[in-house]
Amino acid sequence: MFDPNKLDSKSAVKMSKSTSTARPLPASSRESTPTSTPAFVATARALCVPMRAPSFASNVFRLAARELRDAARSKWFLLYTAAFVALGLGVSYVSAASSGGTGLSGFGRTTAGLINLVILVVPLMALSAGAGSIASDRERGMLAYMLAQPITRLELLLGKFTGLATVLLTSICLGFGVCAGILAWKGLRADPVALASLVGLTFLLAMAMLGTGLLISVITRKSSVAMGVAIFAWLTLVFVSDLGLMAGAVALRMRIENLFALSLLNPMQVFKMWALVSADTSLDVLGPAGLYATDTWGGGVVWIFAAALSLWIVLPLSVAAFLFSRRSPI
Amino acid sequence: MTSCVFIFATISFAWLQPPTSVGAKITPQMKNTIPIPNPLQEKIRAAAPGDTINVAAGVYRGELVIDKPIKLVGQGRPTLDGGGNGDIVTITAPGVELRGFRVSGTGIDLDKENCAIRVKAPHTTIEDNFLEDVLFGIDLKESPDSVIRGNHIGGKALDIARRGDGLRLWRADRTLVEGNEIHDGRDAILWYSSGVIVRNNKSHHCRYGFHLMFSNGVTIEQNDLFDNSVGVYFMYSSKLKLIGNRMLRNRGPSGYGLGLKETDDYLIKGNIFVGNCVGIYIDGSPFATPNSGLLTENTFAANDIGVTFLPSVKGNHLWANSFIDNFEQVSILGRGELTGNEFDREERGNFWSDYPGYDRDGDGVGEANYESRLLFENLTAREPSLRLFMFSPVHQAVDFVARAVPAVRPEPKFTDYYPLIEPPVKHGVDLATAAPRAMAALSASLLSLALGVLAIVFAGPVRDALRDRAHFRARAIGGIA
Repeated sequence: MFDPNKLDSKSAVKMSKSTSTARPLPASSRESTPTSTPAFVATARALCVPMRAPSFASNVFRLAARELRDAARSKWFLLYTAAFVALGLGVSYVSAASSGGTGLSGFGRTTAGLINLVILVVPLMALSAGAGSIASDRERGMLAYMLAQPITRLELLLGKFTGLATVLLTSICLGFGVCAGILAWKGLRADPVALASLVGLTFLLAMAMLGTGLLISVITRKSSVAMGVAIFAWLTLVFVSDLGLMAGAVALRMRIENLFALSLLNPMQVFKMWALVSADTSLDVLGPAGLYATDTWGGGVVWIFAAALSLWIVLPLSVAAFLFSRRSPI
Repeated sequence: MTSCVFIFATISFAWLQPPTSVGAKITPQMKNTIPIPNPLQEKIRAAAPGDTINVAAGVYRGELVIDKPIKLVGQGRPTLDGGGNGDIVTITAPGVELRGFRVSGTGIDLDKENCAIRVKAPHTTIEDNFLEDVLFGIDLKESPDSVIRGNHIGGKALDIARRGDGLRLWRADRTLVEGNEIHDGRDAILWYSSGVIVRNNKSHHCRYGFHLMFSNGVTIEQNDLFDNSVGVYFMYSSKLKLIGNRMLRNRGPSGYGLGLKETDDYLIKGNIFVGNCVGIYIDGSPFATPNSGLLTENTFAANDIGVTFLPSVKGNHLWANSFIDNFEQVSILGRGELTGNEFDREERGNFWSDYPGYDRDGDGVGEANYESRLLFENLTAREPSLRLFMFSPVHQAVDFVARAVPAVRPEPKFTDYYPLIEPPVKHGVDLATAAPRAMAALSASLLSLALGVLAIVFAGPVRDALRDRAHFRARAIGGIA
């Protein structure tokens, strides 16, 4: 029976040398158990782990659990989580200091600061986590070894996605949890519901960027290249596309409905606008384009944001799954 | 050809259709417009001038005309019901007092200005009445020296374009408007009414909270104006005082806490502007009297823009105001500088929450000037649609580039030579309620979720170790056997 939790990267490298030509086992051999199992091993197994057919869900779950454990051991997760928590701490402290007794801290600084922080840090975390996963496994020979086990490629990809998404969720919850703790402790006037919805939206953004990262990881051969492409994608989504759109809006005298529609292509902008709406702030903060959105769709604009962000989650992941199932594993 | 005929027939049918249906709707209304005699009318006819008529609780339907100087006092809040047609109460004699009624159900005819209480005489007192479902609330026409006090005026749930004014003063000098609550109306408007005092009122969900047209010497103090399109709009008026009011969340395409249009000689003091699209919008004011715009001790907080000037505006003095965390503290609509306005008086400027300087000699005034020269604001002033990119990292990036590369840094919009280190007046307004318990619960649940995941992750190896031991034992036992 396949148990990826028993694997670690060192043994994988060792083993991959001997099984480098391995292919996934044919479906018929999956369920078969070795005939010459010693009686005591069978007994021990029966005692400890009840025998189950390795279903799709259980394989995904096991792969996800393994991914989680690897991430918890790795440096990047700790580093990013620490950075996110520290920045969240900083934002809430600064907003606590700036409101200094006037009681005038509304939407203003805390939420704006948190939105900015999320847009900068979370996509970077998610993209690099996604980009680093399959490419580095491929480089180390781990991928070939994993695929020699009785699992499908889709299971492997979804397992990685689920595991890394859980890792990101943990990191986000830690960061916002500390931030909410500070806000509660300092008695700042902030809406817990708005903060909770910001957490949810951040997780959606993280999943969208994780899917994109996995896509990058599937289409690149080397992990260093994957990382580079991920950083480039991050830079594009955070700065370059917005700057380009700003320049385009001025140079082409773009109509506001076109400007708004184009901004929906960028998941960061969608996240930002959705976060503003969920913080009970009218989109007219964003000038004529926001006013246009409010006038045209009213509260229904949220569904547009939801559709855009879920497309960003589903589409890159599906493309990654499609390409991954077609490409040679090694 | 046949299709042409068909289309023509369809169009003409469609053309004919609405009038018949409207006619069908109008018929029952036509029946109702024949005035029903209000049972109170007989009592008024019987009364002598100066009498007080006490009205018992109950519902009194139909139009009522008060044409004698009498007092009409409701006991247990009797209802004057218009039944959804025309006006309800019309006062034609001076010195009438109307008190303690519930007035509801005017028509919705904007042409006829269907009104709950129409006053056409001076020295009228309207006090402690509860008006609801009315098109126009209280309409004073050439009725100076009146008192409107403690009334509740609730408009109809109509589209803003079809609503009437909750309160209207037309040539009603020296009227006192005090302690009223107006909501869901169009404006509370003062036309050609001088020396009016507006005090302790509440206005919300209207278009303009209070709107002054050609009204001089008006004092507006201690009012709460929230969730309107505009809190207070001064137009073509002079000698105005706006003191100690609270303007909250006045939003929309022209969402201003206070608008000033071609107004002279105004004192804006000790007001709070929070969460509006624009705190104060200054258009051509002061107009005729130079240097007569005084703005002091106001707090502008968490507005999209604190104060907006049109490019040619000059002659305003702003000192001892607090600008706290507005997304843009001061803006100019279009290009230009604010050189004609002063941001200090007697070496005291304003408090700016984004002032980066410090106070060396401890006199409460920062040593460096406060200059507003952010590139992003400069861009949005020219191209307002770029505000779409606010709160994105690109917003900070643009401003950072402007600081780092002086070549692209815009000229300062204005300079405060004596920026204050502390807010001179500390106003407190609760924008959001503090909910530390709920926030703590949120924090605890987020942290426990994260820690739960970590626990499961690290429980795995522990469980594995335990299982290995079990394997080992089983093997050992097997070996022995």
